[in-house]
Amino acid sequence: MQLRVEREILGSKDFQQLVTVRRWVSWSFLLVLLGLYLAFGLLSAYAPAVLAQPMFSSAVVPFGIVMGYGILLLTFTLTVVYVWIANNYFVPLERKIMASITSGTSQ
Amino acid sequence: MNMTAIVMFFLFVGITLVITVWASRRTKTRSDFYAAGKSIGGMQNGLAIAGDFMSAATFLGVTALVYSTGMDGMLFIIGGTLGWAVILLLVAERLRNLGQYTFSDVVAFRLERKPVRTMSAIGSLAVAIPYLLAQMVGAGALIQILFGLPYEVAVVLVGVLMTLYVMFGGMLATTWIQTIKAVLLLVGGTIIGFSVMSMMHFDFAELITAAVAEHPKGAAIMAPGVMFTDTITIISIGLAFVFGTAGLPHVLMRFFTVPDAIQARRSVAYAIGFIGYFQSLIFIIGLGAVVYVTNNPEFLTADGGLIGGSNMSAVHLSKVIGGDLFLGFISAVAFATILAVVSGLTLSAAAAVSHDLYANVICNGDSDRDTELKISRITTLVIGLSTMGLAILLEGENVAVLALIALAIAASVNFPVMFLSMYWSKFTTRGALAGGYAGLATSLILVMLGPTVWVTLFGFDTPIFPYRYPTLFAMLANLVFAWGFSVSDKSARASAELESFDKQWIQSEIGPVEEQS
Repeated sequence: MQLRVEREILGSKDFQQLVTVRRWVSWSFLLVLLGLYLAFGLLSAYAPAVLAQPMFSSAVVPFGIVMGYGILLLTFTLTVVYVWIANNYFVPLERKIMASITSGTSQ
Repeated sequence: MNMTAIVMFFLFVGITLVITVWASRRTKTRSDFYAAGKSIGGMQNGLAIAGDFMSAATFLGVTALVYSTGMDGMLFIIGGTLGWAVILLLVAERLRNLGQYTFSDVVAFRLERKPVRTMSAIGSLAVAIPYLLAQMVGAGALIQILFGLPYEVAVVLVGVLMTLYVMFGGMLATTWIQTIKAVLLLVGGTIIGFSVMSMMHFDFAELITAAVAEHPKGAAIMAPGVMFTDTITIISIGLAFVFGTAGLPHVLMRFFTVPDAIQARRSVAYAIGFIGYFQSLIFIIGLGAVVYVTNNPEFLTADGGLIGGSNMSAVHLSKVIGGDLFLGFISAVAFATILAVVSGLTLSAAAAVSHDLYANVICNGDSDRDTELKISRITTLVIGLSTMGLAILLEGENVAVLALIALAIAASVNFPVMFLSMYWSKFTTRGALAGGYAGLATSLILVMLGPTVWVTLFGFDTPIFPYRYPTLFAMLANLVFAWGFSVSDKSARASAELESFDKQWIQSEIGPVEEQS
């Protein structure tokens, strides 16, 4: 790839949009998940009583287990959402950028 | 001796050998051998990836952890799943867009090829070999208990089979074996989990009440802190899972078996679905084992311990559920799991030697195809023979120690280097080498001086390094060295590397331009 083409791609609105949106989506999803995991870890270390607190009317199932399963469910949900965004938003943008390069270099 | 288990076991081995023969006829090129001709679809690759992760460590080890510590096991269950979110959101698409066969391809994209590849090949071997040994020692013990074979015979059996699969079948055979095993394991896990819940009238609260009533530690298992109490340990475990998974060479290699980044993304999404589902079963299986195995005299030794150790709790539970037939099925699946994972690991170690070291460092990227494939097959044979020998010497060794060393090294060496090379434009060859080797040395030294090796293995009274898991410190060492040696690098090479970041950045975002035009 020539330098001129590189500069054109980097400067193009489509590319900047792709990078910004992808960065925003993946980092925010990741920070939410890792933040919850960190919270679980810190609660285990400093406030085990919170995780042991029973929940619901049964008064048996502890909060830690609900939180654990909740994180698993959220991970799965965010995965589905990410793949949906990628297929419906990133892929068309990538194709568009690719098309503009191939038509640009063939001139 | 369990006849059903033996029949199931031979059935599985027979099927896998047929697959290997079939795959060997189709394995002609380098791309066939390392990456199954880049022909695997997203869903099958997702299954194979999930299979790589659902190893003996997860199925037997994490179940055992829930069985003995209750809620502390949740830390492993969540971490094991989140590692995949890191791969999906940060790594998978870029990896496929930038690389060919191994993750070293990505690191070497704009950095100086020879030293960087040497370092990441050493990193891959340093991860693959302890992980391989962990699985083989585990397999030896499992076979010993299930089939009554001597430990040495069991280890040789595993070693010979894995060497055959990889030498002749390459990635195509290991992918198919991994896929079949993943399906079997998911089915087996579902049956166990479903049966436990049905015996508890599908009431989770009843399961918990029963587990608390049967467990020797009682209500303490429904609170964290039975096993892990200090912050440093908890954070190190978390880091090892979350970032170590994304540094396992045999897992990363699977992203090159699919045709493009779209399929790579789809594979992780499937993998997360399968892994998340399986991990949620593990907790139920672990609690089920507490209820039905803990105080069951059939599974206890004379002095009250569990036959075969707590690692066998899931296997014992399967006997409660479905008698000898189901026990045979689960044992065969557990063995298949180990076999499939060691094959993938051996292949990734062989690729590190033949593709990274031989083809790219020794031959300057201009190697003869047949010689390269011959080298990787010889490497496979050498790795097979030497791990068989080591596994026999390590009989009775704690499997978790070895698996942990592997995950900690992956998080401290491979992951930071790969991550920085993908995302940080100012990352230079000097920084990559300083960071990678600093991470490797720190993790190895701290494991040596920590309680697991220094006290348990060498027999000293107190450890020099108080924590069991080195991840926090070793990862930090890698990042600090990588940063310091990169920003202070004023060489011409460094500025050339900075300039070529744009090309890499574009390719990592939208894929290789030449290939598609």
